[in-house]
Amino acid sequence: MIKTTGKSTETVFDHLAISGIARRLQELNVRTDALTWHRFFGALLLVLLVLLVLSGAFMAFYYSPAPGSAYDSVDYALFTVPFGDVIKGVHHYGWNLFLMVLGVHLVRAFLVGAYKAPRQLVWVSGVMILLIVPTFIITGDLLPWDQKGYWSTQVRLSIIGSIPFIGDFIVRLLQGGPLTGIVALTRFNVLHILFLPCLLVLLIVIHLHIIRHRGLSQPFLSGGNFSTKTVPFFPVIVNRWLILFLCVTLVLGLISWYWPAPLGDPADPTDSNYVPKPEWWVLFLNQLVTIFRGPLSVIGSVIIPGGLAGLLIALPFIDSSSERHPARRKKVILVAAIIAIGVLVLSIMGYMEHFRASHA
Amino acid sequence: MSKLKKIGSILFLVLAFGIFFIFNSHEVTGAAKQSVTVAKVKNAPAGLDDPVWEKAKAVDAPFEGKERFAGKKASVATKAVYTDQEIYFLFSWKDATRSVTKGAWTYDGQKWSNQKGNEDRISLLFEINRIKNYATKGCAVVCHVPEGAPNAKDGKFGTSSAAEKGDLWHWKAARSDPAGFADDTWVTVISEKKGGRKGDAGKGGDTKNMTDDKSMPKYMLAPGKKLAKNGILLASHSVEIKDYSVFKTGDTITYRMPKMPEGSRADIKAASRYANGSWTVMLYRQLDTGHEDDVAFNPRKKYNFTMALFDDSGDEDSYDSEVLSLQFGR
Repeated sequence: MIKTTGKSTETVFDHLAISGIARRLQELNVRTDALTWHRFFGALLLVLLVLLVLSGAFMAFYYSPAPGSAYDSVDYALFTVPFGDVIKGVHHYGWNLFLMVLGVHLVRAFLVGAYKAPRQLVWVSGVMILLIVPTFIITGDLLPWDQKGYWSTQVRLSIIGSIPFIGDFIVRLLQGGPLTGIVALTRFNVLHILFLPCLLVLLIVIHLHIIRHRGLSQPFLSGGNFSTKTVPFFPVIVNRWLILFLCVTLVLGLISWYWPAPLGDPADPTDSNYVPKPEWWVLFLNQLVTIFRGPLSVIGSVIIPGGLAGLLIALPFIDSSSERHPARRKKVILVAAIIAIGVLVLSIMGYMEHFRASHA
Repeated sequence: MSKLKKIGSILFLVLAFGIFFIFNSHEVTGAAKQSVTVAKVKNAPAGLDDPVWEKAKAVDAPFEGKERFAGKKASVATKAVYTDQEIYFLFSWKDATRSVTKGAWTYDGQKWSNQKGNEDRISLLFEINRIKNYATKGCAVVCHVPEGAPNAKDGKFGTSSAAEKGDLWHWKAARSDPAGFADDTWVTVISEKKGGRKGDAGKGGDTKNMTDDKSMPKYMLAPGKKLAKNGILLASHSVEIKDYSVFKTGDTITYRMPKMPEGSRADIKAASRYANGSWTVMLYRQLDTGHEDDVAFNPRKKYNFTMALFDDSGDEDSYDSEVLSLQFGR
């Protein structure tokens, strides 16, 4: 790392003019509370994100964003390129795990009241990240140009199209025309591999920046005081991330090896008999759309989901008391529990309707 | 249990619930199309009754009749197993009559004539290169396209473009089975003269046994040779007839003599039995023959295929299956 030129000693960081940043990172110390298991999900999310970027970049090398060749290019990457299906599996399962861990991360932050002042924007930026992740899955689903992706996109676009005033405009913007064809595929691809990653990275940087300045949420179960012990960010935290990265890669790789990520039949826009089954994370939203039909559809597709998203974002400002212990935040916990039970019941209903019913 | 551990347990359960949804969802989604699972076995089946077939689950593939068989239904119990090198299929279907005539010559004491009667067959079509909409429409876009479609002409068929290629396995009770093979052919873009069906590289198929004026058979069983299964005369076992006076009334001779296949045409080996009103047919082949005119099976991949049954009938009269999925077990 150190290069000697003449009498002076210059590092690579000096050459890159980032020696200040490097020094600050080397001198950065983190409270040992950051290493507790229930704060582990944030690190796991970062590791998963790196895995998703790497596996996505691999697939992008082989991907051809045109309806006539997209499926074959994905098929080639999966079954001709060595370990292609494992890497695709890591990407597939990684997204699902990312969404789950993100949900758990937010649930944990909610339960311990980590959104309370002065950390409101940490929560808001976290919720923004949660809301942006499904758009990755929505745009990514279409890319293989298989039956599931194509027809799921048709359903999603029809739901978006039902939004009053702006629905049709958004659909046109996404599709680039009246049909889901080459322009739509190009736009979904650009959104998936360029715009959305940039937005996600920006939100994560904001999230970490605010955490850095507002600090970790205090451990309310140990008298509200941090341990006085600290550990250096480099190498202790970085090494833990690397170990976590290796472990997650290994686990997802093994899962992908034994249960390869699905690649359905090639998309057939003339096959209107195909009924796509909703993803697990969207079952409750899908069920809302099923319950509210016709003129009421806007309730299920816009008002309730939008209200829930608004409620999540506004939570730190609605529950602005300084009390963080769940037992002393009964009203907020009760409302959250009712919403959670509602989401769970709707998801189970959706699961029974779309999956179990097809077995009968 | 501390409160933190309780919270941890709840979070773990939420995570486990989500994982359950993901894995179970895939299983159910995959069941939409009828799927034949190829069971992995250590030792290849030695025949139709090998106990190793017990390891494979039979799928009753439904067939619908076309043309002469319109309105009728059939089904074929389909099993498949694979080893590190080969894939084996076992088909079983009911058929009241064993049909192996295929226009065989018969002598009435004065002249030769071709008997009425065709043969029983089963065919399978896999994609070598993707055939547009084959996964959803099956043979409706290749083998049974309506006359006037761009890839149909005078009852012949093919794919719509040269980039689309299919691997057609064709077991024929009279013309391939007696030689111990299924005819290994492939389908490509339709051409003016022959449609899109082509024999794989090498030699094979059958040859017509008739004189130049087409009035009588040209070949008979060579001395020292035996007729093959179903009383069929193989081309390799035939010799030109020098003296027609040796034949007596009622004698029959094969009209379409199977040729022993060579090269890529000889990839698909066959064994069969007709008993108790049912055909049982086993076809087997290398997973990857290395030939461009064959589908290369990758056990990590799923394949779509369709089948057609011919009950003593020509190409136009058949029972066709819906599209089936072929996936490999571990």
